[in-house]
Amino acid sequence: MDEDILTTLKILIIGESGVGKSSLLLRFTDDTFDPELAATIGVDFKVKTISVDGNKAKLAIWDTAGQERFRTLTPSYYRGAQGVILVYDVTRRDTFVKLDNWLNELETYCTRNDIVKMLVGNKIDKENRAVDRNEGLKFARKHSMLFIEASAKTCDGVQCAFEELVEKIIQTPGLWESESQNRGVKLSNQEEGYGGRACGGYCSML
Amino acid sequence: MRATAQWLHKMAADSEPESEVFEITDFTTASEWERFISKVEEVLNDWKLIGVSSGKPLEKGVYTTGIWEEKSDEISFADFRFSITHHYLVQEASDKDGKEELVEDALPLSMQDLLCMNNDFPPRAHCLVRWYGLREFVVIAPAANNDAVLSESKCNLLLSSVSIALGNTGCQVPLFVQIHHKWRRMYVGECQGPGVRTDFEMVHLRKVPNQYTHLSGLLDIFKSKIGCPLTPLPPVSIAIRLTYVLQDWQQYFWPQQPPDIDALIGGEVGGLEFGKLPFGACEDPISELHLAATWPHLTEGIIVDNDVYSDLDPIQAPQWSVRVRKADNPQCLLGDFLTEFFKLCRRKESTDEILGRSTFEEDGKEVADITHALSKLTEPAPVPIHKLSVTNMVHSAKKKIRKHRGVDDSPLNNEVLNTIMLFLFPDAADKLTDGSEARPSTSRNNPPESEEYNLYSQFKSAPSDSLTYKLALCLCMINFYHGGVKGVAHLWQEFVVEMRRRWEKNYLIPGLANGSPDLRCCLLHQKLQMLNCCIERKKARDEGKKPYTSDRSPSGSSCDTGKAVDCSGGDYQKETEKERGEVGKSWESWSDSEEEFFECLSDTEELKGNGQENGKKGTKEGSKESANLKPEGRLHPHGKLTLLHPGEPLYIPVTQEPAPMTEDLLEEQSEVLAKLGTSAEGAHLRARMQSACLLSDMESFKAANPGCCLEDFVRWYSPRDYIEEEVVDEEGNRVLKGELSARMKIPSNMWVEAWETAKPVPARRQRRLFDDTREAEKVLHYLAVQKPADLARHLLPCVIHAAVLKVKEEETLEDIASVKKIIKQIISHSSKVLRFPNPEDKKLEEIIAQIMSAEAIIARARSLTAKFGIEKCDQEEEKEDLERFVNCLLEQPEVSVIGAGRGPAGSIIHKLFVNAQRMTESSDEVATMTSLDEELKRSGSSDERRLNLGAVADFPPPAGRELILRITVPRPAPYSKPLPQRMYSVITKEDFRLAGAFSADTTFF
Repeated sequence: MDEDILTTLKILIIGESGVGKSSLLLRFTDDTFDPELAATIGVDFKVKTISVDGNKAKLAIWDTAGQERFRTLTPSYYRGAQGVILVYDVTRRDTFVKLDNWLNELETYCTRNDIVKMLVGNKIDKENRAVDRNEGLKFARKHSMLFIEASAKTCDGVQCAFEELVEKIIQTPGLWESESQNRGVKLSNQEEGYGGRACGGYCSML
Repeated sequence: MRATAQWLHKMAADSEPESEVFEITDFTTASEWERFISKVEEVLNDWKLIGVSSGKPLEKGVYTTGIWEEKSDEISFADFRFSITHHYLVQEASDKDGKEELVEDALPLSMQDLLCMNNDFPPRAHCLVRWYGLREFVVIAPAANNDAVLSESKCNLLLSSVSIALGNTGCQVPLFVQIHHKWRRMYVGECQGPGVRTDFEMVHLRKVPNQYTHLSGLLDIFKSKIGCPLTPLPPVSIAIRLTYVLQDWQQYFWPQQPPDIDALIGGEVGGLEFGKLPFGACEDPISELHLAATWPHLTEGIIVDNDVYSDLDPIQAPQWSVRVRKADNPQCLLGDFLTEFFKLCRRKESTDEILGRSTFEEDGKEVADITHALSKLTEPAPVPIHKLSVTNMVHSAKKKIRKHRGVDDSPLNNEVLNTIMLFLFPDAADKLTDGSEARPSTSRNNPPESEEYNLYSQFKSAPSDSLTYKLALCLCMINFYHGGVKGVAHLWQEFVVEMRRRWEKNYLIPGLANGSPDLRCCLLHQKLQMLNCCIERKKARDEGKKPYTSDRSPSGSSCDTGKAVDCSGGDYQKETEKERGEVGKSWESWSDSEEEFFECLSDTEELKGNGQENGKKGTKEGSKESANLKPEGRLHPHGKLTLLHPGEPLYIPVTQEPAPMTEDLLEEQSEVLAKLGTSAEGAHLRARMQSACLLSDMESFKAANPGCCLEDFVRWYSPRDYIEEEVVDEEGNRVLKGELSARMKIPSNMWVEAWETAKPVPARRQRRLFDDTREAEKVLHYLAVQKPADLARHLLPCVIHAAVLKVKEEETLEDIASVKKIIKQIISHSSKVLRFPNPEDKKLEEIIAQIMSAEAIIARARSLTAKFGIEKCDQEEEKEDLERFVNCLLEQPEVSVIGAGRGPAGSIIHKLFVNAQRMTESSDEVATMTSLDEELKRSGSSDERRLNLGAVADFPPPAGRELILRITVPRPAPYSKPLPQRMYSVITKEDFRLAGAFSADTTFF
């Protein structure tokens, strides 16, 4: 089973408290929804194996607490992540406004600059929407992120969000390492290769 | 069984036409030879080389500018393995579309290529391309490098196989077989077209027969080989290239002076300072200059070149081109530095082994340190003992080193060591004078947030102004100039002692950004930052005036952590003090008086409030005990919020800072957390493990806000979990009614649980979340056990980082496009390789090799600039032309000289040759004479000797002569089709080669 896994990816879920980070994760990993999910303390962790384009990837997903105070603690877990899901609540504008802070945080603590980012507007099942879809779209475009609206409650967009993110990571060269180690970065220097095989420029004479 | 088979047979027979069923071809008796031929045919089929070849006539220079590709396969003749390779110039698809326009009996493309004059003497190409001008061909060669087809019968067998395969398949691509030893590059081959065939033949000799060293002799060979029966033979077209080699650059001074090491020991700024890397080649990176004088279009009869006379004066040649021969791996300083440092990574010895000290004793000391450290942990009032021990320890450590390292055999002498220590710890100088600690200086010369500065995050090294980076450079230099690995071990030893001293004395380590370890940097840098965090906290604690302070309110603690990372040391503390005013002081120095400052303000009200609350809500648990408590550990009032029940202002408490973490600790912790699994119990346990911080904050909050309840805490800590609604009460007034969110109300959830266990204890009296003593000892131990090899691995990213910056700096002086490209490659390659832990040695070597190649290119550019006297050139325009010319020489295999011998570059080259010639003449060296003699023996006549020395005195005899002779004549009979004939010849001192392609009509002999 483990043998055909292409790679293990570390994914983060961040965003303000109460936007539904843990609910999104629970929906994705266990396909359930619990309206009374306790507030996360520190970080939580789940694993799921998914298959994208025939490639199996094992996801280690780190769910973080959104409280301001935990922000001195959680960013240490950002290290080595290849993908991040940034969540806001479409019914609460303040959670959308704070997105900039989260991006700053990512920039500061993330150890790599090519991490793939996805913006998720959660709770679209609710009626009192406060953030328009276009606003989310605009924000995502501005910061070169993937974007989707979702609902952990109704299951809308959840699977898709994770799959898209993983697909994007797999497509980004150098971002992940193959489990078998055979696909490491290869530096090809065409000139060298050419010179090695064909007889170099002046071979026929001197 | 048999029945089934028969039935199957019937089925098959029924469904297929009868004839096919019974047609059987028998290959069972085929010979190895037949099998080999069929394999060749199969490969030609697979590669789709069958049928009419087509394409446009070749454009000028396309063999150089175009892309060549090759495809390979392996075939065998019995058990002898051959490789079969298709070499071809990649052509645009549109070329192939032109197939329909083809005339049926057009000559195969390769035969047309024989006559094409647009790509004679390509600067770099496969030898068959060079000899025959082919754009496409297939070669069959022994697969193993030392295998060879030697006997004539075997050669003929191979050639016959080729001939049959071509005939059977109708392939029009020339097919060669390599015979004799590989180094001789002997090929024979064949090309077949409709009614025509070209034989590719070759002569390869070590010595040239005298009569064939010149054009006239070669023309004779060519003509008699063609054996054309036409009596007035059309004139042969001729292309000639003579190559002259220049090796003597005596007029230019080289090698570059190595930097003066002694100067630096004297404390002077010599060629090289600590913190700088050397650069440049120690030997001339340009070894030879080859001038090729070409006459591209001559016709037989126009020019005379025979035993006694030659019209071929290079000065008169219409085309000049130049190439430079680069010294293979010229010794370059930066490259040497890197290579030597990288070698350290493979040393196995520990520091002690290298310094030759008894490991036993050192171990004993290590244990003592740790036990001492551990005893400190349990010590309730550690300060006095601890102070005593500091001096002890430093003293003993110093003594130990003295003892074990005699004055004579210490790898680094004191002067060097002092220079380095002062360079690494510039604050030490200040300390000597006033005994107080100098603040880290990073912020003072904080460079701009440039892309260059931020390279460290890509390389996972350390900022270029950091202690770690400087240490890396110092170790690099010591490794190279001051005692190699011994010196490295010694400096490291001193460094570790200094780290311990700083920890004991509460001196911050300079050159490190404040705040928790920067995970973008290398682990060693993180460790040092961690140690600094510990020192900072210990210092804050020790400076507290209360003797009992076990409180850990850390200096710099409640500065928003985000900000704290960037600001540094003293400036930062001053700033925050300013910003925070009174508030700041209260947490920073944590003195009684300032604490009272808050309590005075609130005491009276608080007492009142408590009283009221006691009266009203006496039943509420927790309030009872806390109501009478004096509030403690307040940071500042929240401002907006008041407590729900007493109605008092809500105070934000002083809290414990979360523990700073280095990436290895973090890894450990993540692993522990991840190991708990994904079950509900696991998640619960995980939350519990991490709730220490929450609990501590709750306790601080309770201490600061007597009489508070969970709702109060949640409003501060997780505001969105307190939901406020406007409701209309019984009296019709609109009031705000708030309650905890549903998730906070889940019975016995972790938050409620923690709140219930939390006692009102201010941060300073709580159990430490971060044990600085233990962490510091851990770091110091970690540092002490690093072997020189570990150290080199830790610091290699910093050294590579520094080397890249050095190359960049040097490049800006020269402005060379190819180096810019390499630098970009190095950066992207390094950022991929260095980011992962334990990068493979091979990949690291690749990076170092790239840096070395960039250095070599720059060194070559400088060498050429000097040789062509660009600096001395007065005319602006000419100077620019020359600069462009030199740049081309570096980046292209061959550069044509504008204006040939008469252009500005040409005349410089001419002068270079003249000078070199004069020098050889005047210095009557035996060696030169003998080589000249040989040359003359070869050319034979004494007349020519005079010619060579007299008329061609400006240039040495050509090191190589290449000639291409071409003609289109009917073969084998006068009435045959006129077909292309070509002969290429090259004559050098030790090599004579004729490569002929002779076509014949096969239908009408």
